[in-house]
Amino acid sequence: MADLSAAPQPEPPARRSTLSRRGLLKGGGALAVGGLSVAALRLPFFEVAGAQQNPATCKATDLSASAKQMIISNWTGYIDPRRNPKGTFAEFQEKTGIQVTYNDDVNDNAEFYAKVKNQLGTCEPIDRDLIVMTDWMAQRMIDLGWIQPLSKAAVPNLHANLIDSLRDKPWDPDLEYHAPWQSGLTGIAYNAEYVKEVGSFADLITRSDLKGKISLLTEMRDTMGFFLLDVGADPDDFTEAQWYDALDLLKKTVADGQLLKFAGNNYLQQLTNGNVVACEAWSGDVIQAQYDNPKIKFVIPEEGPSLWSDNMLVPNLATHESNAEKWIDYYYEPEVAARLAAWVNYICPVQGAQEAMEKIDPSLVDNQLIFPDPASLKDTWDFMPLDDRQTQQYEGDWTDVTVG
Amino acid sequence: MAAGVRRRGKVGYLLMVPATLWLLVFFVVPFYSLVATSLFDPSGSDFRGYDMTYHWQNYADVLQAYWRPFLRSIWYAALATLICLVLGYVLAYAIAFKAGRWKNLLLVLVIAPFFTSFLVRTLSWQLILSDHGWVVRSLQFVHLLGPEDRLLATPAAIVAGLAYNFLPFMVLPLFASIDKIDPRLVEASSDLYANPFVGFFKVTWPLSLPGVVSGTLLTFIPAAGDYINAEFLGSTNQRVIGNVIQGQFVDANNAPVAASLSVLLMLIIVAMVLVYVRRAGTEELL
Amino acid sequence: MSLLAENGPQNGPDNAAGTDAGGAASADGLRLAGLTKRYPNGFTAVQGLDLEVPRGSFIALLGPSGCGKTTTLRMVAGLERPTAGTITLAGSDITHAKPHQRPVNTVFQNYALFPHLDIFENVAFGLRRRKVKDVEAQVRDMLDLVELDTQARKRPAQLSGGQQQRVALARALINQPEVLLLDEPLGALDLKLRRSMQLEIKRIQMEVGLTFMHVTHDQEEAMTMADTVAVMNAGVIEQMGAPSELYENPRSTFVANFLGQSNLIEGTVLSRAADVVTVDMHGVQVSVPTARVHTDGDRGWVGIRPEKVLIGGEGEALDAPGNTIPGGVVTDVSFVGVSTLYQVRMPWGQELAVFSQNTGRTRMFRTGERVELSWRPEYAFLLDIHQSAAAGVEQGDDD
Ligand SMILES: Nc1ncnc2c1ncn2[C@@H]1O[C@H](COP(=O)(O)OP(=O)(O)OP(=O)(O)O)[C@@H](O)[C@H]1O
Ligand SMILES: [Mg+2]
Repeated sequence: MADLSAAPQPEPPARRSTLSRRGLLKGGGALAVGGLSVAALRLPFFEVAGAQQNPATCKATDLSASAKQMIISNWTGYIDPRRNPKGTFAEFQEKTGIQVTYNDDVNDNAEFYAKVKNQLGTCEPIDRDLIVMTDWMAQRMIDLGWIQPLSKAAVPNLHANLIDSLRDKPWDPDLEYHAPWQSGLTGIAYNAEYVKEVGSFADLITRSDLKGKISLLTEMRDTMGFFLLDVGADPDDFTEAQWYDALDLLKKTVADGQLLKFAGNNYLQQLTNGNVVACEAWSGDVIQAQYDNPKIKFVIPEEGPSLWSDNMLVPNLATHESNAEKWIDYYYEPEVAARLAAWVNYICPVQGAQEAMEKIDPSLVDNQLIFPDPASLKDTWDFMPLDDRQTQQYEGDWTDVTVG
Repeated sequence: MAAGVRRRGKVGYLLMVPATLWLLVFFVVPFYSLVATSLFDPSGSDFRGYDMTYHWQNYADVLQAYWRPFLRSIWYAALATLICLVLGYVLAYAIAFKAGRWKNLLLVLVIAPFFTSFLVRTLSWQLILSDHGWVVRSLQFVHLLGPEDRLLATPAAIVAGLAYNFLPFMVLPLFASIDKIDPRLVEASSDLYANPFVGFFKVTWPLSLPGVVSGTLLTFIPAAGDYINAEFLGSTNQRVIGNVIQGQFVDANNAPVAASLSVLLMLIIVAMVLVYVRRAGTEELL
Repeated sequence: MSLLAENGPQNGPDNAAGTDAGGAASADGLRLAGLTKRYPNGFTAVQGLDLEVPRGSFIALLGPSGCGKTTTLRMVAGLERPTAGTITLAGSDITHAKPHQRPVNTVFQNYALFPHLDIFENVAFGLRRRKVKDVEAQVRDMLDLVELDTQARKRPAQLSGGQQQRVALARALINQPEVLLLDEPLGALDLKLRRSMQLEIKRIQMEVGLTFMHVTHDQEEAMTMADTVAVMNAGVIEQMGAPSELYENPRSTFVANFLGQSNLIEGTVLSRAADVVTVDMHGVQVSVPTARVHTDGDRGWVGIRPEKVLIGGEGEALDAPGNTIPGGVVTDVSFVGVSTLYQVRMPWGQELAVFSQNTGRTRMFRTGERVELSWRPEYAFLLDIHQSAAAGVEQGDDD
């Protein structure tokens, strides 16, 4: 600036104004910085609040009456073709006039959980009216208070038609929060081209001809249930000592090199190409794989079947809960359920669907993996509900082995 | 004059703004949050939330629990880097000095695998090395592999996958370096009594060191953090630190453990890189 | 009229100086026999080249760009595989020896200093490869010799062009090779530096007494530095000999034009005596000493260097033993200071160049003035009429 010559003069006006403007700028800067750190106030201390919510308060006004629409997130390949005008999906929309946005964006329980954790944990909407989660994740979300209760009056078919073996889950005995979409058995699949039948889980983890060529599921409750059974414990009710016995057996199995891997989703591909010759598997996947490769067989292990289900849940802040309930109720009509089951090949959770199947596809009526004999489901086991601390401890133990 | 300098200075600062913002938003803030997360109390959970207790013990704990995958990561990455260096050097050398008019085509072929996704490429290796694939069968046929031996689920498969996937990261900087070497310098060395072998190690190799250093870094760093290859080509006994971090974050929801593992991995890699660059003697590189 | 010489002085022995140095020298010198290089693209860069370089001599390979000088050197160094012919060094055949096995070192056209090594290590490179003892002292001595002792720990990029050139020289010299090859090492330097480097290289060569083979297309450089100059053209050696002899008695129109400048005048041979040949040159008879006649034909080019031509006014008595050639007309005068260059149109239409020393004893002529020319018969030479009178003109003029 050309102020050097003016230096003798006491504070020329131009200079003063520059100064004050600069001062202002500085102040503004400080303010801005202050604002920023207010926004990011949690950074320096950076605690993360608990994700527990109260569904009674974290709840949106239901717009179902005025907005005939709903958004659902489901697993891939879990519904009959939606484009088919005679399919269940089109029929539902036609009957109710509800426009359904259907996302098949669930690939993995843990992954989906990670995706919605920040919103649901802070009571923010995830823009979905219905999500489908496996038992253990459904239980966790319900425990976290992220799930809205279903109005019992709105889903009469659910209460009337749910098969017995899926009732009385300890974590939601009265079907207050969840409605099974499909269910299945956890068992053993093997490739008959390469190995003889694998009849029990104990065989799976010890037979030497399977060494290095089996895979187990990454779902702790599925896999550890069998290990608990193999150490003589009851997965429905075990002690901490028993847990560690089972865990030791798991560690030994891993250390012995019996496993190729812990597999999440695409475990059947490895079974098909023979890198894995036997694995822990879900029944529905196996039935679908059998269409391509008849050598793949499913066995209910001698230790006993485990029946699980994927469950429809209404998340907090869903704005079309009534529409979602209509959906649930619709799929609990035996005839609709049969049409769905004929396509997806999982165990149908709806009573009366077996009879309805006569008219749809008689060849499936006696399929044990869609309509299992109630007697065979008598001694299914469940994994006992874990509290928060147990969950963390056992999940930690489990990941130490599966990832370490 | 002074004003000119000052203005240039201001423009300089202005030009730095995007880079600074970028660094701030995409590196400083996430890194800060990562470090903070790694110091949370490990007894926290999604239910109760996490308390910041500056729990440095996390680091000791994870190191003790997971030093094996750490070592594996570094070991596999180092082996893969070495393989890449040998293969990549030969390749880059051939392209630079011997390819003539095929040079550009060969370079494109080196990069070509990048046009398919990393995942797909690794999955193809799973197929290639598969127990009933033709590679294993051929090797069994010539008795290089026993009837029960396999390639999949061995450290060799992971190292091979890593080497395959990261080879272009090695070849390109190597090529850039070697291509710049004046072949007349090699002639000069042979004129000065260096046989081709000695000439290579006294002239070509030192002159290509900038490429060697950047190539090894570009290969080693991502290879050390990679878990896809271990996931698809290895078994439960060959899990690397990337698998652990992924499992802890996604499956176990154990943010503090996963964060301290990530920070540790980063520190270890940075430390190794610093030592390496020091040892490679950058001042020797012109 | 005739320009007849009784007994013209002959400049030195016959021009085959290089060849007749053979015999004793060939045992320990460098000998190239029938050396040929055909590149894969079919281009023949060197064709049946024969050359004998006595040990301890300084030979310059002179020739226009692309005539095969570098190719020849590279074959001697072993960097290029000859298509045919042999290379013998100190009595042993090294035609197929690997470069690192030959006692030959090169100062490259572009220096080719190792950028990653300092000056000291560049110079020490050859010694270290041969596992010589006492590297330190030898390198110090060599750096002293080329006056680079203070630069030992710098990198080549930190030196000036002239310093780099000296490093290149030192790096090759220190190995005391049987033959040192220098491929236009001074090409990149400015005139002044080039002159001082020429002196320096010459001094070093005399000091160490090694065989130097120096490639250049700068004729002045070749003539001031070398004992022997070999003029190359299109892959063959046109003529070889001591610089003065090459200049005074060129054997081809190419050499006559490439080295300096020549007037070439068509003539018919009238008679061949034992020591002199008489030629009719557009009606004027001139005599050429037999030793300077390089054609058997009936006709030939009579050659004379412009500075050997005397010029005088019509009827003026010229200070020359021969008769005069009258009827010239000055068409151009350029004053150069020490001398004046005239272009004189002769009666048969050809323009001849005449350099006249400005001694003050003769007056200056003006354009259009009629003049007479004359020269001493012993300076003339007779060349093959089948060679182009313009061969080597353009290339030779530049430098
Ligand atoms: N590798 C090559 N392949 C084909 N032709 C070549 C090759 N190298 C040189 N030549 C040709 O051979 C001829 C002689 O080349 P050389 O380098 O020996 O010339 P030079 O006499 O050293 O010329 P300059 O004075 O310009 O350096 C040139 O016409 C050149 O084009
Ligand atoms: Mg050349």
